Amino acid sequence: MKQFIRSYAWEGTLVVLIVLAAIWSSTLSPYFLNSVNLLNSAAFFVIFALMAFGLFPIVVQGEIDISLASTLAVGAVLLANLSVAGIPLVAGLLITLLVCALLGAINGILVAVAGLPSLAVTLGTLGAYRGIAYILAGDAGITGLTPEYTQLGSTWVGAVPATVVLALVVAAGFGVLMGFTRFGRASYAIGNSAKASRMGGIAVIRNRVIAYALAGAMSGLAGLVWVSQYQSARGDNADGSILFVITAVVLGGVSIKGGSGRALGVLLSLVLLGTLQTGMKLANVPGTSQTLVVGLLLVASIGLPRAYQLIRARIAAHRPAHARTAALEDATPA
Amino acid sequence: MTKTDAPPMTPGVTSRRGFASSGAAALRVRFLGVVVFLVLLILVFSLLAPRFFTLDNGRSVLFTAAILAIAAAGQTLVVLTGNLDLSVGSIMGVSAYVVFDIAGGAPALQPLVVVLAIAIGAVLGFINGFLVAVLEIPSIVATLGTLSIYRGFVSVYANAQEVTVGELPRFMRDLATAIWLGVPAYVWLALVVVILVALALRFLPWGRKIYAYGSNPKAARFFGLNNAAIVLGAYVGAGIIAALAGLLLGAQVGNINSLLASGIELQVLAAVVIGGVSIWGGSGSVYGAAIGAIVLATINNGLVLLQVQEFYRLLIQGAAIIAAVAVDAVVQRRVLGATSRRRVMEVTA
Repeated sequence: MKQFIRSYAWEGTLVVLIVLAAIWSSTLSPYFLNSVNLLNSAAFFVIFALMAFGLFPIVVQGEIDISLASTLAVGAVLLANLSVAGIPLVAGLLITLLVCALLGAINGILVAVAGLPSLAVTLGTLGAYRGIAYILAGDAGITGLTPEYTQLGSTWVGAVPATVVLALVVAAGFGVLMGFTRFGRASYAIGNSAKASRMGGIAVIRNRVIAYALAGAMSGLAGLVWVSQYQSARGDNADGSILFVITAVVLGGVSIKGGSGRALGVLLSLVLLGTLQTGMKLANVPGTSQTLVVGLLLVASIGLPRAYQLIRARIAAHRPAHARTAALEDATPA
Repeated sequence: MTKTDAPPMTPGVTSRRGFASSGAAALRVRFLGVVVFLVLLILVFSLLAPRFFTLDNGRSVLFTAAILAIAAAGQTLVVLTGNLDLSVGSIMGVSAYVVFDIAGGAPALQPLVVVLAIAIGAVLGFINGFLVAVLEIPSIVATLGTLSIYRGFVSVYANAQEVTVGELPRFMRDLATAIWLGVPAYVWLALVVVILVALALRFLPWGRKIYAYGSNPKAARFFGLNNAAIVLGAYVGAGIIAALAGLLLGAQVGNINSLLASGIELQVLAAVVIGGVSIWGGSGSVYGAAIGAIVLATINNGLVLLQVQEFYRLLIQGAAIIAAVAVDAVVQRRVLGATSRRRVMEVTA
């Protein structure tokens, strides 16, 4: 039991923060705790959630992908084009997912096979893919999508928007993928030490490329949600949203150095960020001011535990030797 | 310390010289590579667009590159330590808005805008450095956080207001349009900043330690260097330079809102990477980063003259970044190869 609490301490902290944020938000506006409002707000964050879950295995493997928002734009614009061209949704979605997975795989190949630093590679493809989205979209963007493609955004499953259900299914899927499959185990191993994993017989290159391709496909899926919610697509769709996505993943307890983190944490951090932003929006806090709170949350959630450890280690250094080693063991991050 | 741009050579030690000729040579080739790429770009654009190779247009390219080059010089300090500063655009925004707002309200402070900017930059850079060096938060996460925090701060501070042209000090406005010796004043300023930073990196212990730490943090610690202080110093330097760049951008733009310079971090990072500063830390130079900024400005300018749409600019810029890191990886392997060969030679001897 004690181990369970220790192992899920991060998720527990997030739950407490979510409750606090919800209480705070409901004091800001009486409309916050309205269930329709809550679910509609949740639908707004589905796009980010899909990208965040796609990014999650990549970060677990110790890499990063900042091109996902551009991949989303390619996906959205491609879907819009296919819709206008009269392609049925199933085929259109399949093509889009394949194309986006391919774009992701290109990142993966450049990182894993060519051994280039992932931040620089995806900085490059962030621009390049955005360029492709502009080419496909033309100057004016694409409107006049068939209802088939936009249906998802207005469908409700019982009392819940279909997109929110989709996000939950994806969350569960990634929980299983990372927790119970060979790919998941390989990802954590690679994140801890790519070299040791290679020596241990894990196909590092293949797993990396799969992670990037999967993230690309998730962005394509997010593109579907985008067109279904906005009924149009433009080259600049989702520009700049990658910072929010990375924040969600890191705040979810996924170490940017790789090797740790769970899907549950990512889901909870998305809920937390969503709660905060919705609350502030209702209180008429302008968007750029909201980032102050989000940034503080990110830095404090990671910095404060670390500061606490450092102070404890400092105090322990003045104690007798046996107490010191115990405190130092505590201070080393698990 | 094997990867510095110009390793201090010990005369008479043959194995070291043997290493330097292949490792350092590879790095020199890397720097030359960017210059050659820039020359090729200029050639291609000159052939395709007759208006490109004119004095006026050259001036305009350099003017666009100036602020980016200054910001890239600051970013270089941090990247050399193997870290990143994603908050550079937000620091620029805070500096421009807050400084000009204060100066607009109190004309007596107008001569002191530069001092104010340096102070703000130092504080914001120190916060970044503290998070990265002392609390050991990975730099992407820490500066992603401060990117939001600093930007949120300007937004709250600005309260949806603008600082208007009329509030800016006269001399800053003049500076933005001034031409000294046929070249925009901003270009001279950029040149001064880049050279000063390069000299500081080359000759001050502060700069040597940044290279030493970036090449091999573990070895730097064994050597008795205070790693946290080095990283902190790099961030403070980067913060100050970013704040100055923000001041210049603000004066150029005139009406400053809370979104000034948002999103510029990716451009700055692109300039640094194209300029051959290794993202792994420890190698590269501010001159390279400045040329990277000129490359970006040239691409933008040339494509506008050719009336090529935005998307090709993004495609070409993206391809240039990836090509640059691909070359870096090759150079890196050569340098590593050179050092490991040397180790083998020493063992057999």
